Amino acid sequence: MGTEGQKYVWEGAIPLQIHLDESEITTLPAPPPALILGPRIGYLPLLLSLIKPYFSSTLPPGTDTVWFDYKGLPLKWYIPIGVLFDILCLEPERPWNLTVHFRTYPADLLSPCESEDTVKWNFINSLKEAAYIINGNCKNVMNMSQPDQLELWRSFMNGHMEGNLRISSKLKLGTVGEESATKKATAHHQQSSSETKPDRIPVRLYVRSIEEDVHDLEDAPPVDSWDKISYINRPVEIHMDDGKIFTLRDAIKTLLPELFEDEPSIDEEMSRIELQDGEKALETDLCDQDLENASTARSRELTDTLDECTPSSCCSSEKAEVKLVRIQGIEPKLDIPFTWVVKNLSNPEHFLHICVCVLVAQGQDKMR
Amino acid sequence: MAAESPSSVRKVVVHLRATGDAPILKQAKFKIAGSDKFAKVIDFLRRQLHRDTLFVYVNSAFSPNPDELVSDLYTNFGFDGKLVVNYACSMAWG
Repeated sequence: MGTEGQKYVWEGAIPLQIHLDESEITTLPAPPPALILGPRIGYLPLLLSLIKPYFSSTLPPGTDTVWFDYKGLPLKWYIPIGVLFDILCLEPERPWNLTVHFRTYPADLLSPCESEDTVKWNFINSLKEAAYIINGNCKNVMNMSQPDQLELWRSFMNGHMEGNLRISSKLKLGTVGEESATKKATAHHQQSSSETKPDRIPVRLYVRSIEEDVHDLEDAPPVDSWDKISYINRPVEIHMDDGKIFTLRDAIKTLLPELFEDEPSIDEEMSRIELQDGEKALETDLCDQDLENASTARSRELTDTLDECTPSSCCSSEKAEVKLVRIQGIEPKLDIPFTWVVKNLSNPEHFLHICVCVLVAQGQDKMR
Repeated sequence: MAAESPSSVRKVVVHLRATGDAPILKQAKFKIAGSDKFAKVIDFLRRQLHRDTLFVYVNSAFSPNPDELVSDLYTNFGFDGKLVVNYACSMAWG
């Protein structure tokens, strides 16, 4: 089971050099940094048991709420370690120097992560979300037996690809990656996997915008706020027109149409129409209701919204340019078939994480 | 990037549905900017219901990441012109 690419993905790791935040050092001399390997597909909080022993003797009194930062940017714990590295370190830094904190959790910037269970909950929900995109529902994930769910998580935690794929193949997510494996492994199954072959691929896209005065991507200033990175979740539909191969470039084009051609995608047209229908209902505005006093009733904004609905000049191809597409640490040629990318480079929760770097004309707002 | 993605600018109708013993809101449908994050919906519910712990789902199925954009969720999982959001005071769907 598992393609060669998947094996590399599962074995991939970032060498981390983890320093304890200065404010949490109570002993002299200061503890040396911890050197550990962070699995690309793993999540930072799951490293706690490895890191804690290095620093436990020096921590001030209090309860642990572990979090990490890179050059002052608190790291989102639910983004796989490899993705954090790919998007934040355009020039790969090895070892990657991170700072760990056990106190003063920045709750205003990061969603809470109390324990391994929080990470597991996030993982399973991502899996459900992916299943929903692929199959239109996530019954198979929701109906997973307790032992299977536990085994799925345990094999993920321990980096056991085979065990993980064995369980996840039962979920019939039939992503391109699993299709052939499923066929081989469960030849006795009645259902032909080609019937269930999906054409929708769950994608999490991270778009980092860099102002144009930077000549080399390596010279880009460090990300100081997550506002500089757009987090986009859009499925990619694999189209097979006239036997033409659907490439990674085609996929990026459908994800970021505004960076390529002027014509809006059909999907966007559809949602535009649907939305306009929705707006006829003229519901009260959540923000108004909530943030301002409901009694000030500035709640009907139909004219505003209608204005926004007119197809605007959404194209900016001369102003922004894709400089880098990075997936699992590699920069694949844009001509390679997208199915290969999905099959080999997806994460275990069935999302394909794509990092994109975009050069923007100065003074322009970042996307969205 | 200069251009606002057109789908994110528009407002999305969110239909809030109580699950289990969660209190029902007087008004169930709200409009929210597509460019807002799902976290805003969660915060809104927390404040309306005066509860810190709340489980919030889409289509009775999964809990999206709080950072996901409402417009993405609507495009991916919305139907009949709205995004159905379920909320519960205890874990409803694993």
